[in-house]
Amino acid sequence: MTATAASPAGGRSARPMKDRIRRFLDRYLLGLYAILAIGYLLLPVAVIALFSFNDPVGRSNLVWNGFTVQYWMDPFGVPGLGDAVLVSIRIALLSTLISAALGTLIALALVRYQFRASGSANLLIFLPMATPEIVLGASLLTMFVAISRPPFFPLNELTILIAHIMFNISFVVVTVRARLSGLDRHLEEAAMDLGATELVTFWKITFPLILPGIVAASLLAFSLSIDDFVITNFTAGRTVTFPMFVWGAARIGIPVQVNVIGTAIFVIAVGLVALSVIFQRRRERPA
Amino acid sequence: MGSFLHRHRSAIPYLLLAPGLLWLVLFYVYPSFQMLITSFWSGTLETGFTFSLSNWTTYPEALERYSTQFGRSILYSATATLLTLLIAYPLAYAIAFRGGRYKNLMLFLVVAPFFTSFLLRTISWKIILGDDGLVLGPIKDLGFLDPGFRVLATPIAVISGITYNFLPFMTLPIYVSLEKMDRRLTEAAEDLYAGPWRPGGTIAGAIGGGIVGALMGFSFDFSLLPAIATGAIVGGVGGTLFLNEAFVRVTLPLSLPGVFAGSLLVLIPAMGDYVNATLLGNPSTNMIGNVIQSRFLTNADYPTASALSFMLMIGILAVVAVYARALGTENLTAGRGA
Amino acid sequence: MTDPARTNLDLTRRRFLQGTALTGAAAFLAACGTSGTSATPNAGAPSAAAPSPGASDAPQVEEPSPTPIDKTVAAELQFANWPLYIDTDDDDSTKHKTLEDFTAEYGTVVKYSEVINDNNEFFGTIKAPLEAGQPTGWDLVVLTQWMAARIIRLGWAEKFDLTDMPTYTVTLEDVYRGPDFDANNEYHAPWQAGMTGLGFDRKVTGDLTSSNSLWDPKWAGRVTYLTEMRDAVGLTLWNLGYNPLTVTTEQFDEAVAKMQSAVDDGIVRAFTGNEYAEDLVAGNVVLAMSWSGDIIQKQLEKGSLRFVIPDEGGVLWYDNMLVPLGSPNLYTAELFIDFVYRPEIAAQIAAWVNYIVPVKGAKAELAKIDEDLAKNPLIFPPPEMLAKVRPFKSLSEEEEVYMNDQFSTLIGV
Repeated sequence: MTATAASPAGGRSARPMKDRIRRFLDRYLLGLYAILAIGYLLLPVAVIALFSFNDPVGRSNLVWNGFTVQYWMDPFGVPGLGDAVLVSIRIALLSTLISAALGTLIALALVRYQFRASGSANLLIFLPMATPEIVLGASLLTMFVAISRPPFFPLNELTILIAHIMFNISFVVVTVRARLSGLDRHLEEAAMDLGATELVTFWKITFPLILPGIVAASLLAFSLSIDDFVITNFTAGRTVTFPMFVWGAARIGIPVQVNVIGTAIFVIAVGLVALSVIFQRRRERPA
Repeated sequence: MGSFLHRHRSAIPYLLLAPGLLWLVLFYVYPSFQMLITSFWSGTLETGFTFSLSNWTTYPEALERYSTQFGRSILYSATATLLTLLIAYPLAYAIAFRGGRYKNLMLFLVVAPFFTSFLLRTISWKIILGDDGLVLGPIKDLGFLDPGFRVLATPIAVISGITYNFLPFMTLPIYVSLEKMDRRLTEAAEDLYAGPWRPGGTIAGAIGGGIVGALMGFSFDFSLLPAIATGAIVGGVGGTLFLNEAFVRVTLPLSLPGVFAGSLLVLIPAMGDYVNATLLGNPSTNMIGNVIQSRFLTNADYPTASALSFMLMIGILAVVAVYARALGTENLTAGRGA
Repeated sequence: MTDPARTNLDLTRRRFLQGTALTGAAAFLAACGTSGTSATPNAGAPSAAAPSPGASDAPQVEEPSPTPIDKTVAAELQFANWPLYIDTDDDDSTKHKTLEDFTAEYGTVVKYSEVINDNNEFFGTIKAPLEAGQPTGWDLVVLTQWMAARIIRLGWAEKFDLTDMPTYTVTLEDVYRGPDFDANNEYHAPWQAGMTGLGFDRKVTGDLTSSNSLWDPKWAGRVTYLTEMRDAVGLTLWNLGYNPLTVTTEQFDEAVAKMQSAVDDGIVRAFTGNEYAEDLVAGNVVLAMSWSGDIIQKQLEKGSLRFVIPDEGGVLWYDNMLVPLGSPNLYTAELFIDFVYRPEIAAQIAAWVNYIVPVKGAKAELAKIDEDLAKNPLIFPPPEMLAKVRPFKSLSEEEEVYMNDQFSTLIGV
């Protein structure tokens, strides 16, 4: 950053000082602030991890009492917790798969083709993202209630899955679309000039190129689904997902195992990202 | 198959759209419509519900009865959005312009909290801010605070919770728009407008600070005048120190799309939030989300709950529309190459 | 002991849909070839309603022919209960000796979930399936007498075959027999009775005795009230000098206004269900409207907690086991109820939870475990304590709707 500037009149010695202070502040203050802000963001995560090693007196894991790893040895010791985690993972996997497929198709349509209904389609994609979760959940609940006589639609895992797919589609579309619109069309046009049909072009050219976008969208959808509480709360009936288990446990004291699972999910997720970055770097090296 | 597709080219987009859009129609549009219908029901779960257009009175009744909670949701969301903006903007700026090779790492760290359950994070604040907890406990032991002092179960805790939870949502869009900026523009700006923005920085800072102070005072139940004064002073000082002309004239306007996106991403969920209010608040901090949740799940008062929910939805859509027009940014929905 | 609350007997319409669902479930079980049910029920077959064994001369109620219960012992029993309501292992809060004893004897694994924090809240989770005629997923739930009355009135509780429950029919304390809402005690079985009073941390507040403390600005922000309308209003009514058993609408309004002033002044930190117990331990709350046995159990974690019935008066209530309509394991549930009505088992539970036992002979059994427990005033309240507590008046539909409405506004939802 050049420092040439028309500076206000002032003593020769005063000017560099002011500038120097300014530049010092500029360079380090912002950095310091960033570190503080990131620390603020990660503080609760650290506390969760810390308290997963706590040995509480009774049931309330709110006061530090002593260090122990016993709960890490037995993370599913609390009845219902293991089932809840399984349910959450199941729903997250399924909803990611389905919404990724549906969403990618939509993104393809919106970016690659011109057609009359594109405005309304865009609107329809955008609306769920502009609706608060509570409204999404509540409206689904009213629908399931309304069509529940005769009893077709008990609230259960299926209804949760339906809800998750619904809100994930929009996020997938936005993510994949961003990737897709940055792609060079020439590659596809070249392929078609060379005689490939639409389908082959898509499969051999487009798809591999947008795969990172689809993967990113899937990761997003997965994390949105596995952590969703509000919409799930409305559509779950008696099914218990991990967030719902936490909510229920918050009343009577969260068992340490919940902290353990929460920290484990965090570590696994961070680990996966780190791995993918390393993998990416390694792939790009011989180039 | 390939040639079939080729011949029916014009149908392809519709075929691609069909499954996904159908899902959205079935499970977003229809439920919203059903929610509207439900709001015209009367009765109870035990005696059965009946539909009647004359039940439109549910709307004004619900609005009147819960106007406090509605207002509170708006107030808390607005305050939280402003606070997030204040915290996130410098953070995004730091990452974009000072990040260097740590950029991706910092971005990752900003998003990392989302890898834990948001409920657990909020409960974590309950531990941290507990009356005798990690922060307040030692301070009280040292005698600096009255033992009756508390942060939990106050509006401060609720708004702080909302701010914390949605901070990354504000940071990322601002970062993206700052990152995309042509560096030559900023450099040119630096050359052209080098130096602090006087007296604009002070004035803008003071006004901005005053507004933030007012909002915070209002939400936190502090007396307004001192709050505004403090805000104005802090804002004025901050503006003088940190607002330089290059930034204000070039960087800031170019980053507005990010600011807009980020604000929406915070405002919309914050309006409907009830988790923070439940875990960190008290009966006088209940937001409209708490009411809707209670009406639906505890009382099965579907008509009132649906009416409230519907009004919330329309309200938010209205805000989004107005906001879009005011900021003049390109139509969000036509997002070719977002 | 006092009279249990008398409620209006107002059995509303029976739903044949529910009857059909029940029939369907029974038929399905029969088809699986597991049972020896005498008759395969036809949907809606109007056979003569056989009077249930042990029925008194109470007026016969209109109902569809009772479906014979499938008498196989289930592999699992889904039991929903309040927290701090069953004997729990000191070191492992997931182990409950009574449940293990039941499993040892019958083989059924009891899936115990402490998910009930508030009557209305829990009812909210089972209302929809009950109304739609679907099973709730629970075999046994525990709800306070007024909520039990409502559920029975709505026809959403399974009827017991009392011949399966010989112990229960003998050891149930007389005072719980024959309430208005269930003349033959064949839809509900009392679990524990208790009293609502003040729970506090004496290290902070000292020894409190008056409910005036609930309005003391000294504890502002660290006091919780209960979301249980009858308890919160009940304590307030006593404080104003009224009797909850004979409350009028005007008195109720006065009580609500008094609580509203506490909310407005920032004295009340929250309206809670069972969550107050955790907050007391954590130190966020120093005074709470509490239920008698909870505090004693929490003394393990925080020795300075105490419970008292306020001088002005407390509220008496009792919680009941019910089998929600549509449960496939009615027989097993009956066995469980009968099991916990054995005096030695009842004593085992009471020794831990410290609530009032509804079982005859439990006192003697308790004395065998621990002399002092048999004299524990919370488990066996002496006359002077009982004189200070009253149950809340049993309300008409109208009163209930009005009071719930006003109370919801008070708690801000």
